[in-house]
Amino acid sequence: MVDHSALRVNQAGIVTTVLVAALGSALTWKLTWLIPALALVLLLGTLRPELALFKQLYFRVLKPAGWIQPQPVQESPAPHNFAQGLGGVFLAIATALLFVFPVAGLALALLVAVLAAVNLFFGYCLGCQIFYQLGRVGLVRA
Amino acid sequence: MLQVEALLAAGIVTLAATLAFRAWAWRAARLAVRDAGRAPSYIPSEVGEGRLPEPGSDELYVLYFTTESCTVCRSRQEPALAELSAVQVHKVDALAEPELARRYHVYTVPTTVVVGSAGRPLHINYGYAPAARLRRQLAGG
Repeated sequence: MVDHSALRVNQAGIVTTVLVAALGSALTWKLTWLIPALALVLLLGTLRPELALFKQLYFRVLKPAGWIQPQPVQESPAPHNFAQGLGGVFLAIATALLFVFPVAGLALALLVAVLAAVNLFFGYCLGCQIFYQLGRVGLVRA
Repeated sequence: MLQVEALLAAGIVTLAATLAFRAWAWRAARLAVRDAGRAPSYIPSEVGEGRLPEPGSDELYVLYFTTESCTVCRSRQEPALAELSAVQVHKVDALAEPELARRYHVYTVPTTVVVGSAGRPLHINYGYAPAARLRRQLAGG
């Protein structure tokens, strides 16, 4: 069982954090530290769901307070975790780029935010396409 | 300014990727219409879930490709298909039926095909197709 509200809170959290980091870095470059922090949150959340910061925010605060209604769907959490892990990997690459080629680092982080936003607002999931192709060649059990 | 350049770079990549995806989908749909029009157009009744129109009938129906792990299929495509109450929807697992998926050039899930008389594909949507679009395609024939 997967609660789609938790996924949407996670996507919204990713979009907000990257936007604050990328746009706020015009004022102070220190805000770019949010990018490695977000990479860590996503990667840790993929390995240990109880460490997924935005999902915990939903399950512990937003849902009990009744601010967001749950939206449970009977399905496997594997593709969602795959997509989250992929986002974490790309943000880790963006972090490395920030040191050598800051424009590319910020641009890559913004692309991760664009993909999260496209999923959030339009229901298009690039991770789903990658997962289907990997399943077709037998690399994952899709 | 660094931030403006980064936004610009991300914007250009997004635009280029969107155009490339549209071009890919357009090409796949064209090939699928060509290939599926050439091959035997009926679908074996034991494949997939749902009733199929009788061979030779003019009834339009929707062929719906999905997989076990497709998330957008369950959260968005299936509710949209449920809105088309008057139309038969035939659901096929794209990984379990690779031959059929190849015939329609399915490269992503969900994929929905509006099938017309004699089993000819009229419209193909790669990725989530909203109910309004499917309704328009079914009405347009």
